[in-house]
Amino acid sequence: MRIGIAGLGTMGRVHAAAYRRMGARLVAAYDADPAVTERFAGEFELEPAPDYESLLRSVDVVDVCTPTFTHLEMAETAFALGVDVILEKPLALTASEGRQIISAARESGRRLFVAMVVRFFPQYRKAAELVRAGELGRVGVMRLKRVAFPPAAGWFRDPARSGGMPVDLMIHDLDYARWVLGQPASVFARRSPALEGSALEHVQAVLEFPNGALALVEGGWAYPPGYFRTSLDIAGDRGLVEWSSDQPPPLQTLFPKDAPPPALGLPMAGLEEDPYELELRHALEALESGAPFEVAPEDALAALELALAVRASADSGKVVEVA
Amino acid sequence: MRVGIMSFAHLHAEGYVQNLRRIPGVELIGFSDTDAERGRHFSKLYGLRWFWTHEDLLEERPEAVIITSENATRRPLVEMAAESGAHVLSEKPIATSVADAIAMKRAVDRAGVLFMTAFPMRFSPAVRALREMVASGELGRVLAVVGVNHSENPKHHRPWFAQKELAGGGAVMDHSVHLADLYRWIFEAEVDDVYARIGNPFDPDVDVETAGLLLLNMEGGLPASIDASWSRPSHYPRWGHLRMEVLGEKGAAVLDAFAGHLHLWRRGAGRDYEWLGYHPDPNQGMIDAFIASVRDGGEPPVTWRDGFEAMRVALAAYQSAASGSGVRPTELK
Repeated sequence: MRIGIAGLGTMGRVHAAAYRRMGARLVAAYDADPAVTERFAGEFELEPAPDYESLLRSVDVVDVCTPTFTHLEMAETAFALGVDVILEKPLALTASEGRQIISAARESGRRLFVAMVVRFFPQYRKAAELVRAGELGRVGVMRLKRVAFPPAAGWFRDPARSGGMPVDLMIHDLDYARWVLGQPASVFARRSPALEGSALEHVQAVLEFPNGALALVEGGWAYPPGYFRTSLDIAGDRGLVEWSSDQPPPLQTLFPKDAPPPALGLPMAGLEEDPYELELRHALEALESGAPFEVAPEDALAALELALAVRASADSGKVVEVA
Repeated sequence: MRVGIMSFAHLHAEGYVQNLRRIPGVELIGFSDTDAERGRHFSKLYGLRWFWTHEDLLEERPEAVIITSENATRRPLVEMAAESGAHVLSEKPIATSVADAIAMKRAVDRAGVLFMTAFPMRFSPAVRALREMVASGELGRVLAVVGVNHSENPKHHRPWFAQKELAGGGAVMDHSVHLADLYRWIFEAEVDDVYARIGNPFDPDVDVETAGLLLLNMEGGLPASIDASWSRPSHYPRWGHLRMEVLGEKGAAVLDAFAGHLHLWRRGAGRDYEWLGYHPDPNQGMIDAFIASVRDGGEPPVTWRDGFEAMRVALAAYQSAASGSGVRPTELK
């Protein structure tokens, strides 16, 4: 299965490195900026594609890591040319665009995998398994945190092109909450007013589930540069599970403290298993075998709808029913 | 490939059953155990065929065996297995005396079968990353190593661990071999000298040491310590730790091989509060490597020599504790 990668920014690089480590057949690369395409293709020893359609004509599956506002067009073009799509999250900017992508896949008979990577972080997966196995009893309160520093200037900082923090970042935990506890009934969110007018955003959302379970989901782009903190805390009536990225990794290094902070922080899963590799390996195996994806396109759409509900609630100050 | 397990005395046998079952093409034919109660229990628990004698198991002609008997009883099992033509993965420490270890080596050489020592920590990705970091010179010259492999008292799982005639000792025999092996492997040097102090501050009901501190000198002059104590209480959130701090001229590295864990509180579980690991199991990598060596006929990645040198460090620690001075493990005959 020949893989092409489109969009050669941070996530394009993360995915390309993961394909390389797993020995997958990544053959070609394309970016809207030809200079970026040339440099990237050289570095990863790939065929540089002069335009997106040339890339699509040389591969069986395309991994789309372009900005969110381009997802609809990128996916529709790929499906029209008979190419399967691995699409970086979020699915799209709006629910209607998301539905268009899903129906384009269905009509073309091609497959769509949306890269909701948090489901492939081993600690998140293990905690979900504990809940499903009944080890915690009935879940009462779930807390999920994902806070980072503001993204560098560009499309990320423009909600009209990225969807803003809830759609770009918090969507991970909204998807996770839904994966573990099912579809919530309602969402209420508050955005920190002190940050309004800046690129910084910090939102806390309360989700209520039909069985009475509650979730507090926190997401933000307001931490000092260099910080990316995540945590989970799931309390049931028979057990409790906690994890935090503040816990030390299996191997820490201590070098002189004058190294510059990273350009865009990504959470490190530790050395043991790379969640991006687990995620992409799963997608390729499911494409090979025809097995269903662990993240159905409808799940990615439901997560997007939750993120949009969080944004709408933060904007309006009102509860949004999402059942 | 047909594989058998000889003895369920060592609690690691339980994990190895799961590891073997995950490897395509491996058929676990069963296990032998001369303790009938244990045999029946684990036969039922894992749906495994139980052989009352080791001879009965070997008559089934397994291509390879994993020997998970008590430390002091491995020699006769290795000799029997080798004589029947089975390749051997031996639990650590491989033996409790130099004479037994050498006899095992003779038996496998005579039979022309492979011998691998079960040092799973070599298959931890974090340990491998540390080794690469040291080899790359990123840390500069290594100045000091501080290692911890302390745990709970394993007698709560299997009483023989704290019985000298079956275990060959206590905490030092149980644990010091893991870090001794990692030091030899990571720093590519033999252990030149062992100073050790042992005691029994934690369990008056046993006649072995429950505390052991070793201060090694690696060839070339690198001080490296090992805490092998059974110093964690039985209600600790996990069996214990494997940690190593490596101080170099240019930087330091801090290893906590089992750092990746969830904090889990459950009612009515074995531990009310538990650190539940989410890493892949290093034992799987080790068992995979053993099976691959048998299949391809290559030298196993952890050899008899590795098991022997680590065992000599433990034996040197007992001599040092008795004599009060440093002991060179390579001089132990």
